[in-house]
Amino acid sequence: MKDSSMRLVKEDGTRIDGRRLDELRPLSIEIGVLEKSDGSAYVQLGRTKVFAAVFGPKEVHPKHLALPDRAILNCRYHMTSFSVDERKPLGMTRREIELSKVIREALESVVFLEEFPRTSIDVFIEIIEADGGTRTAGLTAASLALAEAGIPMVDLVAAVAVGKIEGQIALDLSDLEDKYGEADMPIAMAPRLNSIVLLQLNGRLTREEFKKALELGKKGIMEIYQKQRDALRRKYSEEALMEV
Amino acid sequence: MPLYFSEREIVLPGQLLSDNGNRGGEGTYVLGGMVYASRLGFATLRNNKVHVIAFKGAYIPQPGDRVIGIVIDVKPNGFDISLGRHLTATIRIPDKKEVQALNLKIGDVIYANVRESGLRGVYIDHTGRIKKITSGLLVSMHPLKIPRLIGKRGSMINMIKKESGCELIVGRNGLIVIDGPSPANEFAALSAIRMIDREAHSQGLTERIRILIKNILEGEKSVEG
Repeated sequence: MKDSSMRLVKEDGTRIDGRRLDELRPLSIEIGVLEKSDGSAYVQLGRTKVFAAVFGPKEVHPKHLALPDRAILNCRYHMTSFSVDERKPLGMTRREIELSKVIREALESVVFLEEFPRTSIDVFIEIIEADGGTRTAGLTAASLALAEAGIPMVDLVAAVAVGKIEGQIALDLSDLEDKYGEADMPIAMAPRLNSIVLLQLNGRLTREEFKKALELGKKGIMEIYQKQRDALRRKYSEEALMEV
Repeated sequence: MPLYFSEREIVLPGQLLSDNGNRGGEGTYVLGGMVYASRLGFATLRNNKVHVIAFKGAYIPQPGDRVIGIVIDVKPNGFDISLGRHLTATIRIPDKKEVQALNLKIGDVIYANVRESGLRGVYIDHTGRIKKITSGLLVSMHPLKIPRLIGKRGSMINMIKKESGCELIVGRNGLIVIDGPSPANEFAALSAIRMIDREAHSQGLTERIRILIKNILEGEKSVEG
């Protein structure tokens, strides 16, 4: 499968896009980008571009799904049809439904759902451009959107993918590295609590490689977490002037 | 008892605020004897408790809040009231005659007190006065920005009332009734409310709103004249 002329890691230890193995792609975060939503965020990680929007807490439809003691969290991870090289058909694919579920479960573990009984909180994650690590970028954006919507949470969620390319553990895989590498492991954490809220692994890693990958992932997550906090602070530093 | 924030500092969910678990207030949670912020807002110390005042978020009714609601259902022993967004409140009256005496129909707008709010739902105090609002313009704004609309000791709301000549009834849940002598006056008050909703955090807002209302009303006069 591997193209013999293509090397994912060059002799000098850099990758196709010139990064070192333990380096993230350039990350930019914007908060409050969608006016009609209660909270929203835009995350750009290299060429991966993601919008997340949060609506609610609001009434549950259909009504019988409402829980008497807590809110339900709905999550939709969706890739726009123009986000990938070959047009993705409209509608939710099997993969998107599954990712919506794992993202929802990751977010459920940090949101205080019991503060809003009989309501629903809707999270929409829309991938505008996909270049690897969309679920992690989506989760990063979704947690920011939830925070901006004023929904009580234990902690923000920061996520990154680690993987193995040409036998070496690398941080934040791009699409090519994911496709032609040996393993891909998305990790999401609530960094302050040091608890892992999502961990998937596609491929094979030895025990040592797994430990190394997890350590590298944590390092990347702390970097992303810092940027998330900076972005939120930047957005709201002017609001602090508000005289109540 | 150290605190890990300065007064009015912007705090983010998960941020450590205090290591005394008894000091957790609104917008915080306690984990392992430490107080952390659960919402995005600014931290403040009140009555020796740490509170986080959220910038955005849903309105959570508190007992004693004055709210504006719309009757959405009439039942033999009371009414269901929509408080806007996801919130529904109930009025339960044991005496059926009293229910009829209130003479509320679906769609009526009322101004009342919250008696109880919690897991069982939101209940409106029926022993207090339930005022039926019969005229005016019903508008909504962000519930967390209502304190800004009222201003320090009512400075903002009184100024808007005076300048626009309208009577304003403000519900803590974000619904507001504007009742004025003419559509132009009501429009002026509405514009002021919209401006507060948009620019709640900026300084010198009271003065700018005074000018806004004046300009709208004068513009109206010159068209008539």
